[in-house]
Amino acid sequence: MRKIWLVVKREYLTRVRTKGFVLSTVGLPLFSVGIFAFTLAVANRKADHPLKISILDNLGGFAPQILLELKEKLPDGQPRFQLVRAWDRPASETAAHEELTKQVRDGQLDGFLEVPKDILNGKEATLHTRNTNDYQTTLAIGRAVNNAVIGRRLNDRGIHLNNLSEVIRGAELTLVKVTKTGESEENGQGVLVQLSIVAVLYITLLVYGVMTMRSVLEEKTTRVVEILVSSVKPSHLLTGKILGVGGVGLTQYLIWICTAALISAYGAAVGSSFRPGAAAPNFHLPAAYLVYPLIYFLVGYLLYASLYAAIGSMVSSEEELQQVQMPVTLCLVACFILFPVIQRAPNSPLAVTLTMIPFFSPILMVFRITVQTPPFWQIALSLAICVATTIGVIQVSAKIYRVGILMYGKRPSLVELLRWLRYT
Amino acid sequence: MEAIAVEHVTKRFDAVVAVSDLSLHVEQGAVFGLLGPNGAGKTTSLRMIMYILAPDEGAIRVLGHAASDRTQDLIGYLPEERGLYARMKVREVLVFLAALKGLSEAEASVRVHEWLERLDLAAWSEKRINDLSKGMQQKVQFIAAVVHQPLLLILDEPFTGLDPVNATLIKDIMLDIREKGSTIILSTHRMEQVEMMCDAICLINHGRSVLAGDLRAIKKSYGRNTVRIEYTGDDNFLDLPDLIEKLNHFGAVVEAKLRPGADPQEILKAAVARGVRLTRFELVEPPLHDIFIEKVSEAHA
Repeated sequence: MRKIWLVVKREYLTRVRTKGFVLSTVGLPLFSVGIFAFTLAVANRKADHPLKISILDNLGGFAPQILLELKEKLPDGQPRFQLVRAWDRPASETAAHEELTKQVRDGQLDGFLEVPKDILNGKEATLHTRNTNDYQTTLAIGRAVNNAVIGRRLNDRGIHLNNLSEVIRGAELTLVKVTKTGESEENGQGVLVQLSIVAVLYITLLVYGVMTMRSVLEEKTTRVVEILVSSVKPSHLLTGKILGVGGVGLTQYLIWICTAALISAYGAAVGSSFRPGAAAPNFHLPAAYLVYPLIYFLVGYLLYASLYAAIGSMVSSEEELQQVQMPVTLCLVACFILFPVIQRAPNSPLAVTLTMIPFFSPILMVFRITVQTPPFWQIALSLAICVATTIGVIQVSAKIYRVGILMYGKRPSLVELLRWLRYT
Repeated sequence: MEAIAVEHVTKRFDAVVAVSDLSLHVEQGAVFGLLGPNGAGKTTSLRMIMYILAPDEGAIRVLGHAASDRTQDLIGYLPEERGLYARMKVREVLVFLAALKGLSEAEASVRVHEWLERLDLAAWSEKRINDLSKGMQQKVQFIAAVVHQPLLLILDEPFTGLDPVNATLIKDIMLDIREKGSTIILSTHRMEQVEMMCDAICLINHGRSVLAGDLRAIKKSYGRNTVRIEYTGDDNFLDLPDLIEKLNHFGAVVEAKLRPGADPQEILKAAVARGVRLTRFELVEPPLHDIFIEKVSEAHA
């Protein structure tokens, strides 16, 4: 036990004392909040340059009505949409269409809107543009066409309105998240917090897993391991290493959790002093957001670190490492790709199944908890499965490690690995 | 009590038999040479003595105890492939390794300091390992092997990469350690080192012991059948196939192995007849180098 402790201490101290540790402790949360905040901000950014559009109006007299609905202004006061030309019932529909398509292709126009003759009977208008992903623009034009059609139909039925858009303005929708502990207004910060938490979890599992792997390989390539195993049992060495590196991660989590709790408490205090009696602003983080990531980090780390450690012991060089670690790293990456499944339907059978798979649950279950907290038995079950798997993986990894650290040269095949498990 | 007693030990890795029915006895206080060509099973044998590997068959006793994790602390080891934590400080690495051998960290600190002084490295104790030259790293690694005053010291090629001054320093320390009662196992391919330092040897080939025992006795058993000659002039006076079985040229020196019953005087006569100037003419036991080659090639034949 004393020797395990010595190994833990060395692994822990040599890492915590580095600049890298301080930088990543401060930087990682800022980075992951920053990256999602940036993405959200860019996605919601106001347009900053006018769009040149033409309207091919096969119905006739419809273009001005649409234009009336496109009154949006840019920050500098210019209209956002500039109508280059309205083609009112052109002699040749095809020729006009071709000409406009050419202009869009050449960049003279940003797009053109084609209004079919029987748009009032439900035929769709079409927007021809080079970039179909700019959803703010397409949304604005779509709304304008929609309003114009409604206006025309009302007009045809004898209802004349000057302030159409005011009459048909829709109601806004505010999202309120209902949880066991209460309700909180949702305006984007919820998603931001959820994604940031799982991003931090993903990055830390990857970073500390890989750190364990490199630590194993470093001892192997420098041959220090020969001296170490002449003093310590390989299983003790591995245990000390995993605990030591994990301790670094744990330290980082504790720093983050304390900081988050402080901000949460401080934010609430500041909020209520500014607006006495008003509800506290939404700085508050539910305790589950802090506790579950920590628990799942610990279990997930043990699982992935022992896998990574076994891999580090199998190979003899950095190059080999890149290939062999791929499957394990892909498991972690898969979690990230599977986020939308959880996000859309956190209680669907697929989501429940995914959050029970031990290699996914450390990240996906935490994400599910933040999106919509599942019944406790599901959390407990996923943890139990993950812990049981981890215990099994540790045992197999320890056997591979014990043999691997003293083997140099050719990387073992799967058959050889199985034989290693039987060595004494 | 023997420092090491290896009794009929066999170790297999799958189909490969690395060590086969090996028995080895090392007296306490001896300097023992463990020899053998590459891949003969030396490292596997040493690893079993150090309880890194367990034998499939047979038994190993170290200083009277069955090899176990407790005998590990009695052993100091300098592996052939050198290396330490590159980014750690010299003192920290040594204290860590000494503590792993059972010293308290306070005592380890004191001992490490003493050893760094003794090996002229005190000024480097707060430097990182990779700031040191190869030779200095060698010395640091040597300290790691001896700092806990092991009763059994296993040194694999201890002199490679050391300049003559440092090699002498290390050699003197080895003799000093032995003087204090510890046993030293020297594993090396440098036969002249073995001849100068070892009391007894074991030559392993293909996992088996092919020659073992007291070094002087082994050499004596071969008799003085070799002439060592230094000369200036043409070397064709040595073209005496009836007298000389084998010639070994070392540049300045030639060693001639005599055929059984040949009279070395005949070589002297031939040299004088050709007008060659001799500066040395000595009848010696065969060098260990020759015995090694003979024993190893015997096994191949």
